[in-house]
Amino acid sequence: MNEKPTQPSPLFVPEHWQRPKQGRFFDTKEQGAVSLGKGNRPAPSLIKSAAPGVITARLDELAALARSNSLWTLTFGLACCAIEMISTHMTNHDFDRYGVVTWPSPRQSDVMIVAGTVVKKMAEPIRLLYEQMPDPKWVIAMGSCATNGGPYWRSYSVVMGVDHLIPVDVYVPGCPPRPEALQDGILKLQEKIRHDARNADVAPDALTETRS
Amino acid sequence: MTTTDQRQVDMMLNLGPQHPATHGVFRMLLTLDGERIVDMEPHIGYLHRGSEKLCENESYGQIVTLFDRMDYIANLNNELVFVRAVERLMGLEVPERAQFIRVLLCELNRVASHLLFLGTYGLDVGAMTPVMYTFRERERIQNIFESVTGARLMHNYIRIGGIKEDVPSDFTARVRAALEFVKRGVDETDRLLSFNEVFLLRTKGVGVIDAKTAVSCGLTGPNLRASGVPYDVRKDNPYEVYPYLTFKVPVGERGDCWDRYYMRVLECHESISMIEQCLDLLPDGPTMTQTRRIARPPKGEVYVHAENPRGDIGVFLVSDGSDKPYRLKVRPPSFCNLVALRPMLLNSYVADSIAILGSIDIVLGEVDR
Amino acid sequence: MTQPPKPTPPERPARHGPPVEVAQEVFDVQGQETARLLARVVGTNALESGGRDEVPWVRVERERLPHVAERCRDDQSLRMDMLHLLLAVDYVEHLEVVYILLSTQTLRKAMLKARVPANDAQVPTATHLWEAAHWYEREVHDLFGVTFTGNPDLSPLLLYEGFEGHPGLKSFPFHDHDEF
Repeated sequence: MNEKPTQPSPLFVPEHWQRPKQGRFFDTKEQGAVSLGKGNRPAPSLIKSAAPGVITARLDELAALARSNSLWTLTFGLACCAIEMISTHMTNHDFDRYGVVTWPSPRQSDVMIVAGTVVKKMAEPIRLLYEQMPDPKWVIAMGSCATNGGPYWRSYSVVMGVDHLIPVDVYVPGCPPRPEALQDGILKLQEKIRHDARNADVAPDALTETRS
Repeated sequence: MTTTDQRQVDMMLNLGPQHPATHGVFRMLLTLDGERIVDMEPHIGYLHRGSEKLCENESYGQIVTLFDRMDYIANLNNELVFVRAVERLMGLEVPERAQFIRVLLCELNRVASHLLFLGTYGLDVGAMTPVMYTFRERERIQNIFESVTGARLMHNYIRIGGIKEDVPSDFTARVRAALEFVKRGVDETDRLLSFNEVFLLRTKGVGVIDAKTAVSCGLTGPNLRASGVPYDVRKDNPYEVYPYLTFKVPVGERGDCWDRYYMRVLECHESISMIEQCLDLLPDGPTMTQTRRIARPPKGEVYVHAENPRGDIGVFLVSDGSDKPYRLKVRPPSFCNLVALRPMLLNSYVADSIAILGSIDIVLGEVDR
Repeated sequence: MTQPPKPTPPERPARHGPPVEVAQEVFDVQGQETARLLARVVGTNALESGGRDEVPWVRVERERLPHVAERCRDDQSLRMDMLHLLLAVDYVEHLEVVYILLSTQTLRKAMLKARVPANDAQVPTATHLWEAAHWYEREVHDLFGVTFTGNPDLSPLLLYEGFEGHPGLKSFPFHDHDEF
């Protein structure tokens, strides 16, 4: 009788979505090929907190379903990975079937695929592009250069991962990643968008804080 | 009098670094007088990764991977020129089979690179369809690369003294099957795009550069040959097994965008014929010389250049006798081709600027290194 | 961007292994011919010469470098119409500026070298001879701090405005820069 009632966990988080506690380097064996970052989480839903109910909650999820199935990516190739990104969009690995359409302007796009090495001279333009994109927006760091500097980690002019500049949702490893890996990354992003909509009333940082 | 006042005001137009048609992170500031470009200032360095400095701290075997990432459309050609520089310094003789396989794969990579150009150049001038076809053929070539080297893009296959390993047993059959496909694809793109009336209007007589300016700017490769200078390293300073192969070097007349485009179509055909010759001549034997694992070239310096899909790539290597180069400098063909962009753009219309930029086929990874 | 003072780079460890060999420099047939022609064109300006395979080189005084290059370009037997490469090598006590010239007509190659003291790195420009020299000189100025007197525009080409130091030099350290 003296036992304190254990507090139920406020949300269910799949095991592989946790970020490691220290460092930005991932153990790919445990986490699967594609790992997830914190990303730019959407603000808590106003409708849902004002009138909690079944229908409004479902509306959020419905919107997320629509969003996740029509991700427009910014046409934005930086380096070598851009070639594989183009390959993914082209005939053999038709990206269109996931609803992923490449779009030349940041004003109408949802996803920024950072495909290549981010150097310090390019840092400001990248942040500017990210700020030009309307909310909700997501970022995929494609390849090891965008994840943590990759083969250029020793260089004087390379940013050690694009997550120093903008929040990243999905990290796709590889140098360069195969088109299949990028497709997997998009699928993971879709999963994440739907998950975030289901748990939108949780404070943005709850996902990581509840774990520690 | 208002008209004269208005003519004084030039308009500045910024293009890039993120622009769907700049083939990477290239930025240029155009000064316009009405529709006409009166001044142009290119800005590069948005992909400057410091490769040349990094090379000074890597052993010779590791540098091959950095060369892969320099010109990321023609990886094998890049590997070859670096490896040749080290081999010449060490005085290594590469087995014939390895040389044939190197040349064969390099020519395949040249076709793949030109296919990418044909497709994206169509996109630049507004033709959406060809890129779908050219990428279909490009995937076939990349499948061959994958079966031989294990990677689609960054191969790290050509090593100092030979190649990583022998090709798989069904290599010849695979290449022949893919070549049939690619040959058909190149013809198809040629018929679809080259003599299309809209395409001709967009490219004929646009971005003309004469031979003297082109040579002074350091323009090389198909861009230089389009201006009528028959300079090709494979012919003029033959390396590896190119002396054994018979091929023609296409040369243009006017040096406009269409000529530069059509040089690539013709080079695709030549490369395909070279690959077939290599397959016929491919000898048996070892693919690697007996050499130490860690290359230590003797003290000295060497300059080696070779023909890349984009032009004449050179490597200047200074060795101090250790396992790391003392200084390594690359002559990137795209860098020099970009110098020629300014004379091409001046006095042309702003609507043609993308067609001109696309026609010199730059790779920013190589421009900035 | 304020940067903390950079520590001095660690000494390169003494190398182990076999003794240093020196490459033999042997001309081939074309190289011999080019070296002969080059020696005639450069004349008394040559301080030292050598070369291997098909590429001979000649070292001249740095003030004479563009002058000699111009003579190589205009000479009828060499006709070096293309500046193939312009680079600098840092030998710590001095820098070396190298021109690699190429002829698209006679298909010959040659190198012109000039030593530049590290504390007074100045070379006359070659922009009046070749268009390509503009960008090469800006790049060398970026990475090595060599000033090309007479070049109208030496603004940073590869590096961004405000970058401190010259990363091509041997004194520039590896990876102790600020994380972004």
